[in-house]
Amino acid sequence: MAAAGKISVASRDVLALRLLVALVIFGAWEAMSRSGLFYGEVVPSLLKIGASLMKLLVDPIFYRNLQVTTVETILALAIGAGAGITTGIALGANRFLMRAFEPYVYYLSPTPRIILFPVMIMWFGVGPASKIALGALSAFFAIALSTAAGMRQIDPVLIRVGRSFRANIWQMAMKIYLPAMRVPILNGIRLGMGTAIITVLLGETKLSNQGLGYLIMQVYTRFDMPGLYALLIMIFVIAGAVNALIGHFARD
Amino acid sequence: MASNMNQSAEAALVIDDVVKRFGRGQEIVTAVDHVSFSVKQGEFVSVIGPSGCGKSTLFNIIGGLLGDYEGAVKIGDERISAPHPAVGMVFQEESTFPWRTVIDNVAFPLELQGVAKSERIDRAHHFIDMVGLASFEKAFPSQLSGGMKQRVSIARTLVSQPKILLMDEPFAALDEQTRLLLGDKITQIQQQLNQTTLLITHNLTEAVQLSDRIVVMTYRPGRVKRIVNIDLPRPRTSDVVGSDAFGHYVAEIWNDLREEASRGMADSESAASRRAAHG
Repeated sequence: MAAAGKISVASRDVLALRLLVALVIFGAWEAMSRSGLFYGEVVPSLLKIGASLMKLLVDPIFYRNLQVTTVETILALAIGAGAGITTGIALGANRFLMRAFEPYVYYLSPTPRIILFPVMIMWFGVGPASKIALGALSAFFAIALSTAAGMRQIDPVLIRVGRSFRANIWQMAMKIYLPAMRVPILNGIRLGMGTAIITVLLGETKLSNQGLGYLIMQVYTRFDMPGLYALLIMIFVIAGAVNALIGHFARD
Repeated sequence: MASNMNQSAEAALVIDDVVKRFGRGQEIVTAVDHVSFSVKQGEFVSVIGPSGCGKSTLFNIIGGLLGDYEGAVKIGDERISAPHPAVGMVFQEESTFPWRTVIDNVAFPLELQGVAKSERIDRAHHFIDMVGLASFEKAFPSQLSGGMKQRVSIARTLVSQPKILLMDEPFAALDEQTRLLLGDKITQIQQQLNQTTLLITHNLTEAVQLSDRIVVMTYRPGRVKRIVNIDLPRPRTSDVVGSDAFGHYVAEIWNDLREEASRGMADSESAASRRAAHG
């Protein structure tokens, strides 16, 4: 009981500090905005950003572009996860394949995928397909590496148990390998989703005619700074919410 | 010879001249060397020997996890080279599925066989009750002690109703008191089901407490040194460890084992000193 009390006091302090940090940032922002030290609307007042946010939330254009980006990200993640999990299992299960392919996966994975964007544009055009391809490529590596690592961490006795009860390949995969790798796979998907969102948005800001990245560039071109910040806030909120959702499932 | 024929006729499991070598060229190690014995229907047999006597190799061969060996492990007329439905294995390591509750762990083999859910639950429940974990069906393994997890593993193997229960030091990681009490549980279950059982162990008191016969193995290469009949009364409980007859058997088998164990110790000590010299 005493321990539980202590923990709740500590977490209350943490929460208080977090709120304090937010208030200080908001305060500093507002002070900068009012100081007149910055050119034009580079640091708009919180009130203006709030008003833009309200306007954004009822703007059908925002939702149309949000939908485009969401669909692109989901498809990129689905393709990247499908290929990544399959590759990860193959690499994790087979020492020979792992040794053969390890250098490719390890050395290619930190390469920024955006350098391939021109190639993707040529292959898939300026529409959503090129963003999906690039997003899938970036999600693939994170998920493949995490799955391969998860595969090697499976307690070997659990595999022997499955074999001793004469589980077939399908049963081994569905009832032993996948549940044993749930946490590393979900962590891989979480990382993969992060890079997929980044890559898709980045692709949209470079060359596209729809999506949130495109919208950001539109707002920026109009130099609508409050609108730009409102848009960024929405993207933070959405990415944070999705991340928290996957994190919830990845908990053991 | 005639009596030998009879014995193999009623034997549930026959180990016939089994040899297993590992490695190749100069590096060949013979782990199991011409081992033969049989386990009769309803009998409890233990294989005992020091570490390095090839008993775990024998366990894997009988369980069908090590298909490449010479000689034959036979159930009826069938030579085992892959996991056989008549053999149910219990492993030394903690082997419950951490993501499944106790009842789902125990129902696992039935799930693989495609048994309907309600029947699965009924049958799993029966064996969970038998190992004394009825009030923990909804618990996850992480909430259980080591001894309880091993009982879950045993129930999971029993639920598939194997003709032969094959166990590899299932209590090795447990403390002595828990081990004695679990031994009681095993004896009780074995008598209740008339379960043919083969136990691999290095624990002398455990072997004498539980067995009808004990196969004593030599240190590397693993051969059968002697087979001892344990004529202690049944039904048996752990009280038997206090009896004179029990002490007599332990002393007798230790006499055989001591030489093997000290060879094993000398071997590992010289290996260690070689490593130290190189280091």
